[in-house]
Amino acid sequence: MKIELRKFGDILVSRPAGREAYLAMSAYLLKGVDENELIELDFQGVKVMAPSWADEVLTKIALKYKNLKLLNTENSSVRATLKTLEEFSDFKNLNYAGRNKKAN
Amino acid sequence: MNKDIEKQAREFFAAENFDKNSEYYCKTRDIFQARLDKMIIYLLKEQLKEEDAYILSAIAGEIGNNSFDHNLGSWVGEIGIFFAYGKVNNVLTIVLADAGQGVYKTLKKVKPELKNDIEALRTAFNEKISGRAPESRGNGLKFVKANIKDRGMHLDFYSGSAKAELNYAEKIEAVNGSYQGCLAIISLKKI
Repeated sequence: MKIELRKFGDILVSRPAGREAYLAMSAYLLKGVDENELIELDFQGVKVMAPSWADEVLTKIALKYKNLKLLNTENSSVRATLKTLEEFSDFKNLNYAGRNKKAN
Repeated sequence: MNKDIEKQAREFFAAENFDKNSEYYCKTRDIFQARLDKMIIYLLKEQLKEEDAYILSAIAGEIGNNSFDHNLGSWVGEIGIFFAYGKVNNVLTIVLADAGQGVYKTLKKVKPELKNDIEALRTAFNEKISGRAPESRGNGLKFVKANIKDRGMHLDFYSGSAKAELNYAEKIEAVNGSYQGCLAIISLKKI
């Protein structure tokens, strides 16, 4: 299962928008998906991501699905946000492919 | 942008100055989001590097949305935020302000031992804590601090009678006078 985050917008910055995105994902994209299935989160086309939005979406997905892969994380705000989540949210103890290797 | 924008922001929510039709006033989060989108176009037109433009927008997004998140149902003054951006003496400047509860009042609910505005700002920028506990939150201002430092930006953040000045270092001190809610001034000289 691949989720293209740009389909939720290219500027992803608030918690309410993140919550809405996660609910839509849960209803339309992730419904019935096994927790062991590979989930690919594709950041291609995302211009701005902030930790508030990401914490409502990425952390929740990472807590539920065990096999996570992040694609196209080169955008500066995406990298910075992933770094913050790894440091300050429940995202930090999770193992996933595409970890924030290039982050400062 | 007028060089007195900080003064304008500081005084915007005073009853005698408040202008609900101001181009800088974002009554709701939706209006703020739309103006944030527009700011990115402006930053790129001004030849700011894409990576800086996107980080700067994420920082402004975090600070502006914090105002809405933490004051929903508890605004002290008018609902909403003041949001302006532009160049002041060739320095890119973004100003955000609200007439909310301020950091001290917000955090004291979850950390009662806080004694004053200085301690509240120190906590807000350094500890994983949120006034909206038990929700698991509290990473936004840490993101702001880290990226202001990494990108060579500057932030003056006022709340109550304290100011946090962030760039390559962090200085939190008492200031003369006080600001009811939160006032943030982000600047970048690279433009």
